[in-house]
Amino acid sequence: MQLLVNGQAHEVDAGAERTLLSVLRHEVGLTGTKYGCGEGNCGACTVLLDGEATRSCITPVASAAGREITTIEGVEGLADGDGLHPVQEAFARESAFQCAYCTPGFIVSTVALLERNPKPDRKQIRAALSGHICRCGTYPRILKAVETAAELMGGQTGDTA
Amino acid sequence: MSAGKDAALVVIGPPKWSLDPENPVPPEDDAVLLRLGEDGRATAYSGKVEYGQGIRSGFAYAVADELDLPVDSVEVVLGDTRMVPYDRGTTGSASTRTVGLQLRRAAAAARQALIGLAAEEWATDAGGITAEKGEVLEIDGASRSARFAELLEGRTLEIDIPEQIVIKQIDDLNLTADAARRVDAIARVTGTAKYSRDIALPGMLHGKILRPPSYGARLQQVDTTRAEQVPGFVAFVRDGDFAGVVAEREDAAEYALETVRARWEETRVDSSDWSLPGLLKEKAKDLAVLRESGSLDAGFDAADRIFEGVYFVPYVANATMEPCASVAEWDGGHLTVWSGNRAPFTERAGIAQAFGISEDSVDVITAEVGGSFGSKSSTVSYEAARLSQEVGRPVRVAYSREEEFTWSTVRPAALIEIRSGVSSDGEIVAWDYVAYHAGETPFRGRRGADTPYGTANVRIAVANAESPLSSGSYRSLGGAVNHFAREVHIDEIAAGMGIDPVELRSRNLAHPRYRRVLEVAAQKFGWSSRSGSDGKGFGVALGHDVGSYVAQCVELSVSGREVQVERVVAAFDCGLALNPDGVRNQVEGSIMMGIGTALWEAMEFDGGRVLNPGFSRYRVPRITDAPEIEVELVGDPDTPSTGAGEPGIVPVAAAVANAVTDATGTRVDQLPIVPRL
Repeated sequence: MQLLVNGQAHEVDAGAERTLLSVLRHEVGLTGTKYGCGEGNCGACTVLLDGEATRSCITPVASAAGREITTIEGVEGLADGDGLHPVQEAFARESAFQCAYCTPGFIVSTVALLERNPKPDRKQIRAALSGHICRCGTYPRILKAVETAAELMGGQTGDTA
Repeated sequence: MSAGKDAALVVIGPPKWSLDPENPVPPEDDAVLLRLGEDGRATAYSGKVEYGQGIRSGFAYAVADELDLPVDSVEVVLGDTRMVPYDRGTTGSASTRTVGLQLRRAAAAARQALIGLAAEEWATDAGGITAEKGEVLEIDGASRSARFAELLEGRTLEIDIPEQIVIKQIDDLNLTADAARRVDAIARVTGTAKYSRDIALPGMLHGKILRPPSYGARLQQVDTTRAEQVPGFVAFVRDGDFAGVVAEREDAAEYALETVRARWEETRVDSSDWSLPGLLKEKAKDLAVLRESGSLDAGFDAADRIFEGVYFVPYVANATMEPCASVAEWDGGHLTVWSGNRAPFTERAGIAQAFGISEDSVDVITAEVGGSFGSKSSTVSYEAARLSQEVGRPVRVAYSREEEFTWSTVRPAALIEIRSGVSSDGEIVAWDYVAYHAGETPFRGRRGADTPYGTANVRIAVANAESPLSSGSYRSLGGAVNHFAREVHIDEIAAGMGIDPVELRSRNLAHPRYRRVLEVAAQKFGWSSRSGSDGKGFGVALGHDVGSYVAQCVELSVSGREVQVERVVAAFDCGLALNPDGVRNQVEGSIMMGIGTALWEAMEFDGGRVLNPGFSRYRVPRITDAPEIEVELVGDPDTPSTGAGEPGIVPVAAAVANAVTDATGTRVDQLPIVPRL
């Protein structure tokens, strides 16, 4: 089966019932996407499928074939210019992580959020990221980082509800 | 000392990992702490590990400051037993004040040596030379200067840390003070940081462990016929009750394991989370009186009011985002493991013992660690090593979330009884505190058991009780639990006496650092001008842990069985805060974690089985639960740094419980709160 990951075609030999997460990590060799719970409850495995934030741990790989898959490794490529994507820059700037195991998932979901809503208010940010868990509890910083990212991308956040 | 091989300047000394410098626990052998290469780049070595607390960054900035090097010229090697000095483990919020301090001294020694080299070369007085951004230069006129790399070219120097080495004053640690951006930020936000389950070796296989249906079950009989036919199956390994499948791919190992037929003999276990509170007291042993003074009888006789309370805290899961994983590889009789751990040398010793080989025959290389909070045992490394030994190829074992919930250790549950006597003006005149903490060792429940409220007549006693679940460490082990009981009881006294909770605490506190955190938290929060409405509640609590002081005020709302914590103001005193942003990050995280233990978290178990081993059934705080958090750092810069990673959690559960009581009028004496609303 052929997968289009971060703009590159990969021929993978994998059973259709395997999860997209397993194939990305083991066959494509991209380990930035994390296993956290295996039941779509923590968000650590989030990737973009045609731009939409998707839990790769409960997505059969066959359903991702022929679609554009973006992992944390491909997020830089979505930005204008070289270097970090503004969302990555914002998470680094605000130190919006501790152990950072959950960080790729949060960043990928934030990229999707700002794509469809460049000026989210805090309520919208919370709603968009409520499926993610950061056990280190850096949520106040993540909220700030998403706002910073929105500013870096030229949008502006709404009221701080 | 391999770390010094091709280095130009090597600083050698004891690692100073022990918290008590007067009684260092051996081994404190001299080791390479810092090397400065011919290229002018520095590498610092420590047996501590990075599991999110930011010490790699903290050490890098501190070394850069002391050495006058840009921080991107400093590398920090952590937790790799091949290269770093011995360390007993990353516990007790001690890294910055022990190893961090010693690395600063090592860097200061290197700087002094470089200046000495320049003085020799320029035939001038070392007092007239300083260092700046990787260069040494003459202070007056700056006529001569040399880059560190130039000075070191072709040299090999080994130096000890001079006894009288002077480290910089806090005002001169500019990089550290402003270090908002962690040195590992790029790796973290790009997904390139390698955690243990991200490590792949050539020829590596994947193992899955056959788990018993309940704790204590013994493996009787196994049939692997079907497993052997799964494509990719390599081996089934059995050694007594230990058994596992090895396969070419992880999914093949999982599938093969599912097809294994096993017959287990289960032990009859009656305990459950329902029966736990009674069980803890019933099975208590080794009651240790930690402090006894005055006369409780006289105190209670003199009291105008007597208050009694019984408090219960359940088992909670560390639930790190990264489930345990380890990669093991044998090379003849030598074993190397790559794991997420918090004590690589302890893990090495344990594994060496398990396999009956010398510690020299084992290397533990610590990967990035996806959270610990006290968990991450070496069991998974043993499992990977055992399977690898059998198949003669490297093996990775990576736990599922269910395995992590079921087979990791949990924070011990506790039952605590408090009886207090109070005079009519709110002075506590008698304090009888007896705590029963689950766990194998009695020291587990001692932390934070004592009271800061001045009482002449006091007894503090702690017992350990048999533990149906395997209990282990947690953020402020014992401390957060003892603080919950005490600080809730204090509020019961305040309510009973009709005295404001802040005022009652203030009347009974003599220690100036306790008083200061309480005053600052109350003032910044606007405690005296708080105004309630329907369902709104306010709570306060304070505490002390690993040398630091903390007070918190909480505002929340209760609606039916929903509790939303809206605002938390914390005053935090860890003495000198070297990196204020790093301290704030830790205190914020501690508050979020404490909110989870207060409102929702509890292990449910029955008959030796965990009933809620997943995030769908074990509720942890999410971003929708995050309140506004303000952290006021009130430590005196002249007071040596104390712990920052743990103390922030100790008052949280009580402050939240007190606020819920304020909102609902119903006393909270058991955690978690929400299921009981």
